[in-house]
Amino acid sequence: MKQSLRFQQKNILTLLLVLVFLWSLRVIDWKEPLLHPGGGATFLQIIEAMLHPNLSPEILLLALDSAWVTLTYAVAGMTIAIVIAVIFGVLASGVIQNSQHPLSMLSKRFFRGLLGFLRAIHELVWALLFVSAFGLTPYSAILAIAIPYGGILGRIFADMLSDVKKEPIQSLQSTGASKWQLLFYGYFPLVRANMISYTMYRFECAVRSSAVMSFVGLGGLGYQIQLSLDDLNYEEVWTFVLFLMAIVIVIDGWSSGWRSRLSKGSSRFSMLSFLLSLSLVIGSWMYLYKVEHASFFTLFTDENGEYAKKFFLSLLGIGEETPTFFSAQSWIHTLQLTYDTLMMSIIAIGMATIVMLITVVPAARNVANGKLTMSRSFFSWVSFLLIRASYILSRAVPELIWAMMIIFIFQPGILPGAVALALHNFGILGKLCAEVIEDLDERPIRHLSSSGASHAQILLYGVLPSVLPKFLSFILYRWEVIMRTTIVVGFVGAGGLGQQFKLSMSYFHYSDITLIILCYLLLVWLADFLSELSRKAAK
Amino acid sequence: MKKLVSFLAFVLLLGLLSGCAEDKEEAVEQEETTKQTLKIGAIPDQDVSVLSRSMGEVADYLSAETGLEVEYVPSVDYAALVTAFERGEIQLAWFGGLTGVQARNRVPDAEAIAQRPRDEEFHSVFIAQKELGLKSLSDIKGKSFTFGSESSTSGHLMPRYYLMEEGINAEQDFNGNPSYSGSHDKTYKLVESGAFQTGALNEAVWEAAVAEGKVDTSKVDVFYTTPAYYDYHWTINTLEGYDSGVKQKITDALLSMDSEQQTILDLFQTDKFIETKNENYEAIEKVAKQIGIIK
Repeated sequence: MKQSLRFQQKNILTLLLVLVFLWSLRVIDWKEPLLHPGGGATFLQIIEAMLHPNLSPEILLLALDSAWVTLTYAVAGMTIAIVIAVIFGVLASGVIQNSQHPLSMLSKRFFRGLLGFLRAIHELVWALLFVSAFGLTPYSAILAIAIPYGGILGRIFADMLSDVKKEPIQSLQSTGASKWQLLFYGYFPLVRANMISYTMYRFECAVRSSAVMSFVGLGGLGYQIQLSLDDLNYEEVWTFVLFLMAIVIVIDGWSSGWRSRLSKGSSRFSMLSFLLSLSLVIGSWMYLYKVEHASFFTLFTDENGEYAKKFFLSLLGIGEETPTFFSAQSWIHTLQLTYDTLMMSIIAIGMATIVMLITVVPAARNVANGKLTMSRSFFSWVSFLLIRASYILSRAVPELIWAMMIIFIFQPGILPGAVALALHNFGILGKLCAEVIEDLDERPIRHLSSSGASHAQILLYGVLPSVLPKFLSFILYRWEVIMRTTIVVGFVGAGGLGQQFKLSMSYFHYSDITLIILCYLLLVWLADFLSELSRKAAK
Repeated sequence: MKKLVSFLAFVLLLGLLSGCAEDKEEAVEQEETTKQTLKIGAIPDQDVSVLSRSMGEVADYLSAETGLEVEYVPSVDYAALVTAFERGEIQLAWFGGLTGVQARNRVPDAEAIAQRPRDEEFHSVFIAQKELGLKSLSDIKGKSFTFGSESSTSGHLMPRYYLMEEGINAEQDFNGNPSYSGSHDKTYKLVESGAFQTGALNEAVWEAAVAEGKVDTSKVDVFYTTPAYYDYHWTINTLEGYDSGVKQKITDALLSMDSEQQTILDLFQTDKFIETKNENYEAIEKVAKQIGIIK
């Protein structure tokens, strides 16, 4: 009885989520044409250019140079992020605080909250704020990457540390080890492998973030993509996109290699990887100092402090007659945009999910090689490779860059934003979910297949029931991420809070910015809360 | 333990490196201040390649005339240039009407010093795909539309103002919301490619595009030209820390350009620069306040 109730709970949740998605579609005015009158033609131009990117030597050289800048900012940002994550992660895990002391509970809570705040705001928003406060230095980009990534990594580190098995720690403790000795000889060695593997995964994301930093005027691949898009030169756009994909693929391969070696305990590869990351870190910082002449400490001059102070005071609306956040009308307007943004995120995750569900079965390796379905065919390998390639393309291109292209095709509004977000996320969802299928217990499905079930039937009766909880949890997790990113696609005209944010930045209406960020944080927290709640229900 | 040692060594190394870099940095900076580098900028309202060529030439010319080292600093969007100007990172800037007003509101002692003759009577043009057969501004209702940059005078502020005068609400009367393309060149390219049916841009950029054959006028053409207003101009910062005569020298250098500097003047599509003053842009400020861009 209890089990059937749990089963029901899952189905009810799924039904509810589907209904929410359908309801969100109401916001779009389907009677109006969705595409620009010339949107179709532009779409064809973009696709056609993809088939023959511009591979002339000077463009390739430029791409190589920009790729290096992008990588440098990502590495430098990650270095600071790791420092933030280790310090705050340890404090938030509570392993060095005295557990009996009442204050320790409080400090743990405080640092957890702090990490939550750091990761709540998207890196591009940080970048825009830093550029206004510190000016156009590489550090605006690097700090903008470091803060949210420090928050995410720190939270994961804290979870890892507090989930460590108690027995080894207790035995160390019984030999009289101090708190610090426990940390360095007990906790760290136990979580090292997981920490490295998660950091590498985040590093791949940081490269993409670094590429979009150019949007605020800081160089790199994204800057070149933006320039080429300004000239509507799609052949060049694809060249730069291919370079971005190449970096992402290389890092992806490296990190999965390192991860599998870590679990097997092969020290040679790990040592090499460690040295390689070290030289990347040193190389990047050297480049920043020597070539870009960006010294970290010049950030903290009196003059800079003065401007930063002025900027933050105007964010607080000091010196303004009626700061925006005291005006009821502005609240109503901004809340309307907040609602639109929420709908954009739901439509985005809904579309990404639909495309993922359609493609995920042939994208699993054990389906392609016929192990799962007991039917091998040449066709299934072709579709496997095609779909996997589309996943890589989808996730390698950041949402913002998808949005910049899509805005040429769709009417401005929340739909192009949702499509851009969906395009980036279906690849990620597809990859994660295909891996779930690959890890499936094959026996029940083979049985279905041998009794003559079609592909659709296998999906419906064999695969879906057993993978649904994991799929749901990935979908909800991606929804949280999408929520954070909605503001970014708005910057290029895809509607919602982001568009208003960009306009207010251009008009120097800084107290508007505060109101928009407040509403944005509200959304992010709402999304985290709802997704946590649903995940618990789905378990 | 070994790892800890190597980590510490690495941290030390980093510290040393940053220390070295720090010293060098200061040395370089000191040199720079004695030489007095003047940084100039321009709003990125057209193709980046064209802009960096013309501004590079201006930098060389000003350097020869004033004896200062002059450097052009590119910027990605209009607001970024205004921010850099406010922070004193840019000493001389080629602003549009609105960005000039925004900049001088933030640096009250900055002065508008020079403009092109055509900037006294500047116009925006509304363009449309030819097959639509638009005749007057009111025909634009129900079409898809793109402005230029949201901070542009001739690409956003004045077009929006004249639409308003015509009784057209930009947020409601178009097919979908209006878009902000980012630059004048992009506006006509997007209308030509068919992505948008109509758009508004700077008359000078349009004329240059037609003259150079960059736009196909059988596909897209002007159907309405706005009344005149003041637009582009050079604005000079307070120049704190510079010799007292520098401001005059720069102003004279700009105003005395003639056929000898024809390449620069051509890039700015003019034959000379003439004087201007802050008061000329009060009308722009009024419109910006009315529309809500300036509070």
